Amino acid sequence: MNGGWFPMKWKVIEKSKLPILIEELTKEYEVFAPVKEKNVASFERVSPENQPSLDFRNTKKPLKEVFSPQTETVFTYRTDKKDVEIVEPPAVKGKMVLLDVRPCDARSFVLLDKFFSSGEHKDVYYLERRKNTTIVGLACNSPLSTCFCTSMGGSPFGKEGVDLLLQDINNKYLIETVTERGEELLKKFPWLKDAEKADTERAKKLSEEAENAVKSKVSVKDVVEKLDRMFNDPLWDQIYQKCLGCGVCTFLCPTCYCFDILDEEGKRVRIWDSCQFPCFTLEGSGHNPRPSGKERMRQRVMHKFNYVVKNYGEIFCVGCGRCVQECPVNLDIREIIRAISARQVE
Amino acid sequence: MENIENSIREVAEKLLSEKKVDLIIGYEQGTLPLRTTPCFVDKVEDIKKLVWNASCDANLSKYVLGRKEKIGVIAKGCDARLIAVCAIEKQFPRENVVIIGVPCLGVIDRKKIEAKLGDKEVLEATVEDEQIKVKGEGFELVLPKKDFLCDSCLTCKHRNPPICDVFVGEKVPENTEADEFAEVSDLEAKSAEERWQHFKEELSKCIRCYACRNVCPLCYCKMCFVDQTMPAWFGKTNDLSDTIIYHVVRAFHVAGRCVDCGACSRACPMDLNLRELIKKTEKIMKERYGYEAGVSLEEVPPLGEFKMEDPEEFIK
Amino acid sequence: MSNPYIPNLAVIRKITRENEANDIKTFELVSKNPEAMKNFRYRCGQFAEISVFGAGECPIGIASSPMDEDYIQFTVKKVGVVTTALHNSEEGTVLGVRGPYGNGFPMERMEGRNVVIVGGGFAFTTLRSLTKFILHEANRDRFKDLTVIYGARDPGELVYKYDLEAWGKKDDINLNVTIDRAFPGWTGLVGLVPAILKEVAPSSDNAIAIICGPPIMIRFTMPVINELGFHPENVFLSLEMKMKCGIGKCGRCNIGNKFVCKDGPVFAYKELEMMPKEY
Repeated sequence: MNGGWFPMKWKVIEKSKLPILIEELTKEYEVFAPVKEKNVASFERVSPENQPSLDFRNTKKPLKEVFSPQTETVFTYRTDKKDVEIVEPPAVKGKMVLLDVRPCDARSFVLLDKFFSSGEHKDVYYLERRKNTTIVGLACNSPLSTCFCTSMGGSPFGKEGVDLLLQDINNKYLIETVTERGEELLKKFPWLKDAEKADTERAKKLSEEAENAVKSKVSVKDVVEKLDRMFNDPLWDQIYQKCLGCGVCTFLCPTCYCFDILDEEGKRVRIWDSCQFPCFTLEGSGHNPRPSGKERMRQRVMHKFNYVVKNYGEIFCVGCGRCVQECPVNLDIREIIRAISARQVE
Repeated sequence: MENIENSIREVAEKLLSEKKVDLIIGYEQGTLPLRTTPCFVDKVEDIKKLVWNASCDANLSKYVLGRKEKIGVIAKGCDARLIAVCAIEKQFPRENVVIIGVPCLGVIDRKKIEAKLGDKEVLEATVEDEQIKVKGEGFELVLPKKDFLCDSCLTCKHRNPPICDVFVGEKVPENTEADEFAEVSDLEAKSAEERWQHFKEELSKCIRCYACRNVCPLCYCKMCFVDQTMPAWFGKTNDLSDTIIYHVVRAFHVAGRCVDCGACSRACPMDLNLRELIKKTEKIMKERYGYEAGVSLEEVPPLGEFKMEDPEEFIK
Repeated sequence: MSNPYIPNLAVIRKITRENEANDIKTFELVSKNPEAMKNFRYRCGQFAEISVFGAGECPIGIASSPMDEDYIQFTVKKVGVVTTALHNSEEGTVLGVRGPYGNGFPMERMEGRNVVIVGGGFAFTTLRSLTKFILHEANRDRFKDLTVIYGARDPGELVYKYDLEAWGKKDDINLNVTIDRAFPGWTGLVGLVPAILKEVAPSSDNAIAIICGPPIMIRFTMPVINELGFHPENVFLSLEMKMKCGIGKCGRCNIGNKFVCKDGPVFAYKELEMMPKEY
């Protein structure tokens, strides 16, 4: 439940005490938090060897890998041709806490939830993990220049997808309870102090500043509708030319979910796949409906900014900026959206 | 730098307007500081988009293959050598490509700057002579350029493109001193076990995005060994043994052809050092065959032919 | 929540070689679990994901008719890893079956009407399911005239020869079997499917057309269908795309915002006209 009225909605914790809270959490939960190695932050399981780094902008890899790992065993099997025994992976035991999730990544879970639970067949692997996880968000006081979350329906202090939201107010964190699940978690730490008015005021000021600090703006106002009429537009001939067709943007994107399923010895696995790879749609006959980078780039843009809107009502982009930062040739999705916006289409 | 930029634009404009080429492939300003992006110009009025600076790190030779038009491509030393390798391998009609050679003193390694600045983001940057001035929220720093160049550039022996059709600007002095295989020697000095641990640790971060393969001009196979299913050579998951096979086999596929442009390491989103294994193969080529890829259009690559005098002491 | 990725187990009861080149075989499967068999209720035109454990999974159209209750048949052409492994399997091998998936043919639209079935090559498999279903004595009088036009490259490539022979003797079906070019010993029709369709010229009056075949056959068949006066909402095509999960989750079989595995593989021509041409 989101946005309900919770008594004692705001708590605070001194920064120095946060490691204690995290240690307490690890006794009961599997805690994942950003861990830095050589300046690169990634979400790892917190352990005595892997301590969270709380000063980080965002992780290189998106958090979808917690719920939908890059390589996942769908089932294992034993066979001797005359008989086969299928063994489903063990049920997800135990509960997880994801700590310091940026609002853009938390919002990506909301979008992925819509997708994985849609239709007649639900993706049990993703949903089971999601069910057992509490999300503790960390609001962004200083967004990056590549962040454009506010243009994509999010915000640096967004609460979509989080159960609790931490906010850095100098030497303390303000903790806001967003859902019942968040409240449940907080109950385990009765020693947390209530927030004072000064704390919440400071937080409010910081959130206003952060919102203004998101300088990168991309208008998607008419993009969805325009794309309906742009399938054969010559714009695609230009856009794709410098694209290398690698998987960086899709793998680092929090809302890209496409996968491949294959058999390896003794098991069936599913792995991240990318619509940018040439074999993605290559048929056994040799026919490929998307034979070149142009069709594949078009698919990416139309999928995220048009097709999913028709199917799930949302643009599948949270404005995290990872694809912008990491594209080897600086192909910028914001520029593509702007080009579409500016396009005169019949 | 400015002079070279203007000269590039002049040369490009001349080629386009005289219809010697239909398309110019160069660099234009990127959307982030210290970044340029590949630029495809087919109209004279767009020539002014072309830039030249120490952030022109993309390997444009990638875009030469598979084109039907006549093209002019801006090429640094490494880029020109790769075009030469592809020409020797008959991957494109040589007469369709005008190599516009540009002398290069090295490109900036953004990852080194990020490592220096930690979580501070560069919002503005200018490069003047030997200094990189970076500005961000609450900081301003001047960094000596020589400390933030790509590793491959530090030991580059071909700052001037050895093969080109047009040369822009003045030749720059070559770096004859640096030991280009110092990194390899360091690795060689380690025990086999230590090397194995090192590679296992490094490659365990790989996410199999294939940016390294796709950015490399030498990886032009229509069906890469990674994607083959009949037979499937190895697994596609990010299991470590499969990942190691991918990188090792790719190193073997580019052995004797790689010029160490560094694009693979620059492209890697997980900051893997992808050059060191391939650099070892480059060292072997130099020592055993006296061969350097892409400096001559006449020489047949040693791995593509057999000579009676080829070393064969390993045959007992 | 049931796990949609876990296959049910089935045994290969019989393997029938379908063509001269011996790269198309029909596999008759019986479920290892009788309950699962009963619950596998399918419609003509649907498909299932067949697992050959160790090789993988692939989507195959269901060739048997829903009236055949104790077995399911799949006709498979050997093209890749999984299909080759299937072809190398013997009777008695245990396979996995997930499904039935897809929307199937619009039976409700066809009832009370004339049905024109046009198929080419090995794509005839789900059309065979449809033809058998319509011809079954329990169903026949719900449909009016049945015209079938089926063509292959040469006589050796015709599949379901045993069915074609049986149907040829019946008087409640107008069967037209053709081969592309004259072949020694062949006394039947000669000509490409679109040409034969033009000759046969079934009436479009109160008729539904179901078409299934390789892209090139479709391209030349559609103008003939239009000429014959068939309205786009009365013409249905079964499309093929690379599929993996079969349930609209892996993301690869989309045409625009529709998934061939979930919203298809059967689409009305009218619908296709409004979808991007990316198939």
